[in-house]
Amino acid sequence: MISFWENLGHRATMLFLAFADTIAFSGRVFLRIFQRKTYSSAMREVLVNQIYFTSVQILPVFLLVSIVFGSLLIGIVFTLLKQFGLTDFIGHVLMGLIVTELAPFLTVLLITLRSSAAINTEMAVMKVNREIKTLETFRIDVIDYLLAPRVINGIISIVLLSSLCSIVLLVSGILFSRLIFGMGMDVYSKILLISTNFSDIVIALVKCGIFGFFITLIPIRFGLRASHELTSIPVAVSRGMVNVFSAILIIEVLSLVTKLF
Amino acid sequence: MSRDLKVGLFIGCTVVILIAALLYLATGKGVFEQTHTFTLSSRSGDGFAAGMPVVFSGFDIGKVAALELNDEGLVLIKIKIPDRHVKWIRSDSSFILYRPLIGSAQIVVSTVNLKSPPLAENQIPQVSIVNDINDAIARIEPVLEKVAQIAEHAERLTRNLSDPKGDLNRVLGNAEKITTNLASKKSLAEMAISDEESLRSLNDSLKKLKDITNNVDRLLIKVDKMADRTDEQLYGSEGALPQANVILKDMIGKLQKLDKTIDNINTISSDASAGTRDFEILRSDIDDLVDSLTDIVKKMEGLIGTRKNPEFKAP
Amino acid sequence: MTQNYRLQAAPVSSDVPLISNQEAYLNIALIKAYHENMPMREARRLALELLDRLGLAHIALRRNPALTPEERFYVMLLRAAMVRDARILIDQPFKMIPQLKDFAPVMAALKKIDDLYFSCHIYDYSWMKEKYGGAGS
Repeated sequence: MISFWENLGHRATMLFLAFADTIAFSGRVFLRIFQRKTYSSAMREVLVNQIYFTSVQILPVFLLVSIVFGSLLIGIVFTLLKQFGLTDFIGHVLMGLIVTELAPFLTVLLITLRSSAAINTEMAVMKVNREIKTLETFRIDVIDYLLAPRVINGIISIVLLSSLCSIVLLVSGILFSRLIFGMGMDVYSKILLISTNFSDIVIALVKCGIFGFFITLIPIRFGLRASHELTSIPVAVSRGMVNVFSAILIIEVLSLVTKLF
Repeated sequence: MSRDLKVGLFIGCTVVILIAALLYLATGKGVFEQTHTFTLSSRSGDGFAAGMPVVFSGFDIGKVAALELNDEGLVLIKIKIPDRHVKWIRSDSSFILYRPLIGSAQIVVSTVNLKSPPLAENQIPQVSIVNDINDAIARIEPVLEKVAQIAEHAERLTRNLSDPKGDLNRVLGNAEKITTNLASKKSLAEMAISDEESLRSLNDSLKKLKDITNNVDRLLIKVDKMADRTDEQLYGSEGALPQANVILKDMIGKLQKLDKTIDNINTISSDASAGTRDFEILRSDIDDLVDSLTDIVKKMEGLIGTRKNPEFKAP
Repeated sequence: MTQNYRLQAAPVSSDVPLISNQEAYLNIALIKAYHENMPMREARRLALELLDRLGLAHIALRRNPALTPEERFYVMLLRAAMVRDARILIDQPFKMIPQLKDFAPVMAALKKIDDLYFSCHIYDYSWMKEKYGGAGS
C-alpha cells in the first residue's frame, strides 16, 4: 500500500517536473525569438526552407482539403440550423464556431500530422547521427539554428494557413447560404458583420500562434531526447507526437476557458 | 521561381488577404468611423453597463462608452453614435433603458419629429426605465402566493398520510385485515359471506331461483293458454286462476326468503368494501333474476287486471 | 589565448559528421553564414568556388549519404576551413578514407586552400607514420 502511494507520488512529481521543464524551455526559446542575434543568415535560410516545406509546398493540397472539408462542414451545419429553426444563429455559428474554432483546429491537425511528425523524426535522426554534436562542435547554437526557425515557422504557418482556411470557409459559406437559405451576398455579409467579434478573432489568432509554437517545439524537444541508438528514434517520435496532441487539446480547452471570461 | 520568392509570395499574399478581410470587417463594424458622444443622465446606474447597445427602431446605432457619477449624484451615461446615425438623435428624442426579461439590456431611442433640431452635445436628457423583469415579478407574485398555498396543502396532506393514526393508515389497516380474511377462505362466495353455512343457503336459494324460473316459464305458457279460455274457466272455483294464485303466493314466500339472503350478502359486501369484482357479478345476476320475476308478475297482473272482477291481488 | 583556440578549433573527424539533410555546399556555407552572418547567397557562392578549387563542384548538390568517403572528407575539410583563422584538426584521415594509399592527395588539397586556415594538425596513431612519408606532428 505504501509503495503504491510512493509510486503515485513519484510519478506525480516527475510529471510536474517534466511539465515545468517544458514550460521553462519554452520560455527560453520564446525569449530567443525576440533576440536580434538569433536571426543570422543561416537561421533565416532555415526559416525560409521550413516555411516552404510546411506551408508553400502543401498549399494546393491544403486549399483543396479546406474547400472539400469546409464545404462539407458548412453544408451540414447550415442544414442542421435550418432543420432546427436556428437560422438566426447562422452568423454566430459561422464566426464563433467555424471560423474561430474549427478552422484553426483543422489547420493544426493537418500541419501536426505532416510537419510535426517530420520535425520529430528529423531531430531524432540528427541526434542519433551525432549531427547535433557537430553543430555544438562548430559552436552553432542549437536553439538559434534548429529550434528558433522551426518554431517561428510553426507560428507563421499556422496563423496564415488558418486564416486562409477561415477565408475559404467563409467563401464556401456564401455558396451554401444561397443554396440552403436562399440568402443573398448582401444579407450574408451583413450577418457576418453583426456576428463578428474582434476579441474572438484576436483570441483565435493568438491561439493559432500558440498552437504553432508548441506543435513544433514539443517534437523538437522529444526528438532531441533520443539516444545514439537507432531504436530510440521510434520511441522519441511516438512520445513526441502523443505530447503534441495532448498540448493541442490543452490549448483548445484553455482558449475556450479564456472565451468564457 | 526560387524558394525564397515562393515563400515571400505566400507570406505577402496571405498577409494582404488577411489584412483586407480584417479591414473589411473593421470598416463594416464602423471601427474607423467618426463618432459623436452624447451624454444622458439617470437617477440610478442600475442596469447600465459600458458597451450596452443604443437602439433606434430595432437597429443598433451606437453603444454606451462610459458611465460617470456627477457632483449632484446623477449618473451620466456617455453614448457614442457613429456619424451616419447621428441624424436619429434629435433634441426631442426620448431615451429609455429597456431591460427585457430575456436578453441584454439596451437604451432605446425614439424620435417623434425627425425634423426637430439635433441634440446639442451639452444637452443632457434623462433616461427613463422600462423594466420587464420587475413587471414580470409583479405579475408572478400572486401566482407564487397560490403556489405557496398549494404547497402548504400538499404538506398537510403528506403529514396526514404519514401519520400512523391517520385516515389512510386506518383504511390500509382495514384493507389488510380484509385481505387476510379473504386469503383464508375457500371460494369467492365463501370469501364474501365469510361462513360455509351461509354459502350452502346461498346455493339452495340459487337452486330455488332456478326452479322458480322454470315454474314461472311454465306458468306463462299456461297463462297464455288461459287467455284463450272463457271467463268461466278462468274465474271459476276450479279454474286455473286460483291455482296461479297459490303458485304466486308460494313464489312470494320464496322471494321474501331470497330478500333476506340478499340483505345478508349486501351487509357482507359492504364490509368487504365492495369485495371483489366477481362477487359484484354474482349480485347483479341475482338482481337480474329478481327483476325478471318482477316483470313476470307485472305481466300477469296486466293480464289478469283487465278482467271485470279482479279477485286476484298481486303481492 | 585558450578562448581563441577554442574559437579557432575546426575538427575534421568521423565523430563530427556532415549535416545529412543539407547539401554539401550548404554544409560548407553554414559556418560563414552563422558565425559571420555572411549573406547566404555569398556564402553559397564561396562554398561552390572552394569545391571547384578542389575539383568537386559536381558534388555541391549531393547530400552526405550520396558522397564517397573521399568526397565526404574534402567537404568536411572545406567546412573546417570556413572557421575564421581556423586551426584545422584532422583526426585519422586514413580511417575516414579507407582507400587512401598515402597522404599526398590530402596535402595537395590543403595546399590549394592554405589561404583559408591558420594551421593544420593531423592526429593519427604512430604506426601510421609511414603513410605520411615520415613527416608528422
